[in-house]
Amino acid sequence: MPPKPHRVLIDRVSGYADEAVAYLRRRRHSRRPFARVDVAGGRGASHSPDGEAGRELFLAAARLIEVARR
Amino acid sequence: MPDRPAETLSTAPSGAAAERAVDRLQGMAADVRGCAVIASDGTALAATGERARWGEAAAGLLAAADAAAGEPATQVHVATEEGEAFAVRDGGYAIVAVAERFALASLMLTDMRAVLRDLARAAGSADAAAARTLAGEDG
Repeated sequence: MPPKPHRVLIDRVSGYADEAVAYLRRRRHSRRPFARVDVAGGRGASHSPDGEAGRELFLAAARLIEVARR
Repeated sequence: MPDRPAETLSTAPSGAAAERAVDRLQGMAADVRGCAVIASDGTALAATGERARWGEAAAGLLAAADAAAGEPATQVHVATEEGEAFAVRDGGYAIVAVAERFALASLMLTDMRAVLRDLARAAGSADAAAARTLAGEDG
């Protein structure tokens, strides 16, 4: 079944609203790197590069960014 | 932001469909440096660069995200000084992308989910066509 048109619109509008929130959050953090992982059910958590899990995330992301550079 | 799950894929999307998905995502998001469609076994079905390298790096990011969350991650966003890495996973498949620093994250993730949903739909259509063919052969 094709997606309902209003669903697409709602996705876009909520995307802009989320972006505004994200912009304010980024400004507060003033260019500090961050990592966020979400799981099923809309739950998620941020991970600092100081922790072990966060460090692995940043290393893996750096490898991916390096691949995209080539 | 929670979202409707994509249909579970019983067969892999074709290479051509995966290539179209990569092209589409690049066209949708101006900040994308590169992206790839990843199968459940970690291989890259399509990528903007060398598929093997994308597959390896994407598998690493998804594994690190799973380990950090303690369960399978559905969405990952890591912002570094060098750029931003994104991953969206659903239906056993994933799309990973690298974007410029300060890319519009929520729009980027929305676009990635849309592309993944369409890919799932394309694979579902292929399944249905195969089933109809088999039914025709039986009848």
